[in-house]
Amino acid sequence: MGNVIKKLSIGLVVGGALVGLTRALEFPFIFQMMFFGQAIFGAAVFMLLDAPSLSTMNGVKSVFAIVMFYIVLCVVFVSGASMWPQFDPEEEKSKIAKVLEPKRKATEQGKADELIARAKALDEQVKALEVRLKALGGDQVTKEPVTGELPVVNKAAAGDFMKLGEEQWQLQECYNCHKLKGEGGKKRGPELDNIGSYLTVAEIKQKIMDPKSFMATGFEQEWEKGKMPDKFKDVMEDSDITALATWLSTFKNTSVNTPKPIKKK
Amino acid sequence: MKTWQRSLVAVCAFLTLFGGVAYAQVSGASPVEFPYTGNRTAVWIVAQLHTLFGAFILGAPIFIVISEWLGYRKQDIRYDRLAKELTKVTVILFSMTALTGGLFIFVLLAAYPQFTTWFINQFYLVFAVIYPSLFISGTIVLYMYFYMWDAWKGEKKGRHITLGVLLNLICMITMFVINGPTSFMNTPPKADGISPQDFLETAGLWDKIVNVSWLPLSLHRIDGNLAFGGFVAGMIAAYMYMGAKNQEERAYYDWMGFVGNLIGVGAMLFQPFTGLLYAYEMCDYDFSFCPYMMADQLSMFFEMQGAMIGLMFLASNYYVWLSLKRIEGVEKVRMTILAPIVMVAFPFVMMVVMNYYWIPDPMSLVFLLPLVLAPFTLGRIIPLTVSARTVVKIGFLMVIVGDAIWLTPHGFAPTSAKMVAELELPEAWNFLSSMPAKLSAIFTLVFVTVVNYVLYNRAIKQGTIIWGKIDFASQFVLIFLAFSSIWMMGLMGAVRSLVRKFFHTYNLMPDFSVESFTPTLSYSAWWITGISVVFFTVVSFAVLVALRTSDSKRPVPEGSPVPARAK
Repeated sequence: MGNVIKKLSIGLVVGGALVGLTRALEFPFIFQMMFFGQAIFGAAVFMLLDAPSLSTMNGVKSVFAIVMFYIVLCVVFVSGASMWPQFDPEEEKSKIAKVLEPKRKATEQGKADELIARAKALDEQVKALEVRLKALGGDQVTKEPVTGELPVVNKAAAGDFMKLGEEQWQLQECYNCHKLKGEGGKKRGPELDNIGSYLTVAEIKQKIMDPKSFMATGFEQEWEKGKMPDKFKDVMEDSDITALATWLSTFKNTSVNTPKPIKKK
Repeated sequence: MKTWQRSLVAVCAFLTLFGGVAYAQVSGASPVEFPYTGNRTAVWIVAQLHTLFGAFILGAPIFIVISEWLGYRKQDIRYDRLAKELTKVTVILFSMTALTGGLFIFVLLAAYPQFTTWFINQFYLVFAVIYPSLFISGTIVLYMYFYMWDAWKGEKKGRHITLGVLLNLICMITMFVINGPTSFMNTPPKADGISPQDFLETAGLWDKIVNVSWLPLSLHRIDGNLAFGGFVAGMIAAYMYMGAKNQEERAYYDWMGFVGNLIGVGAMLFQPFTGLLYAYEMCDYDFSFCPYMMADQLSMFFEMQGAMIGLMFLASNYYVWLSLKRIEGVEKVRMTILAPIVMVAFPFVMMVVMNYYWIPDPMSLVFLLPLVLAPFTLGRIIPLTVSARTVVKIGFLMVIVGDAIWLTPHGFAPTSAKMVAELELPEAWNFLSSMPAKLSAIFTLVFVTVVNYVLYNRAIKQGTIIWGKIDFASQFVLIFLAFSSIWMMGLMGAVRSLVRKFFHTYNLMPDFSVESFTPTLSYSAWWITGISVVFFTVVSFAVLVALRTSDSKRPVPEGSPVPARAK
């Protein structure tokens, strides 16, 4: 018991000192708790080192001990993993669905699904027309659906190009390497707030499709190692790349030090 | 288990395997929906079980043969007995590997018929000819190896060891071959200026197998399998020690646990490096893997990995601590004071050096190598020494410090998109979450463990080890190491698969199913634990069938062939 009290006291003192120090250094509370927890864990390890020997077990007692030990391990591992911050898959699902949509459509199954969906939509329209026909009379109804549907179709066809570009920035997770509007980055790639002052839409598109085509000043090593993936031309639709490039070309914030790109190809 | 029963299991397994491959050629099948688990988790369970059994049957023969050879060379019957007992367990688990392999193909076909058909067509020669041929050859050689044990002894022992080497060769080739399709799914071959689909049209089987992550994965698996085999051998020894009826048995299984642990820890020391090499090659192939693993959806999987590795290093050092307690004369064993000094200085010096000279800059070695070697070179000159217990205790402290560095994240958020100031390290302390800091933590764990085992070896040589008198808690340490090692394999296996994101084969074959997303760490942990428990139950049963039965049949020896006190 003396061993436990002594080690626990040391653990509490060390943990307390770490909390005080990290608080003074303006570490967030969660980090202070993490360091405190590690000090207590360390104390527990040293308690174990000086613990008395475990007496030998036999027969049923040892089987029971093994089973209990496995149960403890399972509980500790599962609960330990559950204590870390958990990523919410729901945030990713809609993203993945959008990224995969053009690919799904390109497959035979996708084409069949699209045809079925269109047939269902047409069927519903026919049914709706029939209902209206019955209610209003045939000559009045025939012209209405055409004028009513077209603007919607046109709006969808035109689309919000800028919004699509921004959406591609999120879907392709460009923010993992590039900082934009003060978010993302971690210095893996250049900050892009002023990229529109240096490159045209066509040039940005070229850079996305062929990362070796331009090299950002100060990122020579990254360029040589080919850090920017060359997959986008394969995983993105051409229209999506154009939308992303167009959206990026609107960023002309000269107060941000976006490194100058040098044409390589 | 009798020979005919084993053969029946093996035949069923091969029928399943061949049937699966043949069934894959029937196109147009619709996916089956597995109840409760869902399709992805169903594949996950069977694939992971197959990998675990495979890892054991590939890892165990390496040290079975080494053990048999040591027994022959040293004329120590304990090594021979260890090798034979493990071979018995391996024979049973060989059948389980084939059975789960066949089941894997069937579940994969049922869950993802279009992808599986495409995938098998990419590697038809491997799945239909090479892999089954190697597996059959391996089974035949294993059975010969096992059944010729008693016939080829004495002067014919060399012949038997050669057979064991042949078995290892076949197992190794099998692993290298099957790692081709496995690594292909993550890093299919590509070339500049050509789409992956177009390149695949022109790529031959060899190009597909020898993709960029094939060799690093193979190296990581060889090392991992050996560590895993050692730890499972340690676990078997622990079971048998706990069930031992006399001191002689206890002495033998204590020794077996010692050998298994030694091999397991020895191989484990290389795992961080082969793992880093593997990750490095993956990131080199496509840099977006890197943030996905280290900063985004999978970042907490690596936090868990850090916690697990820290616990495993603590456990392996705790085993040394408990082992030292049963060595007579250990109090006289001392070590240079430079050892604990270097232990304490190491993580901090390395962090600074790595910040200036990052890998592969050889300048880092100019600073680090002399530091690491100082206890062994300068230690002979400097007369100041400390006791073994002090060195080990300081070692424990540094394992805790090293793991604390490893576990310090950039922030407590599951993705960088969710990062806010209240969860993030202050900017001035960001270096604690950088790669140089993580690397210094890994090296500290490895360095401390190496020093402790050097010390342990010195204690064994200078003192007298009393086999069978080890603290009973050590048996739980052996079980813990085996279970953690398996759990870690499950965790890292999940990372390896998840890194493909929403692709079955990266950038080539999208996964359109509803389960195409990153699961939570908690969800993954539940399944990894479940799979590990199933694996342990089967292995425990195999041990019971193979060893306890034969143990009860063994005649009571007249003398004591294993000295209770031996150096």
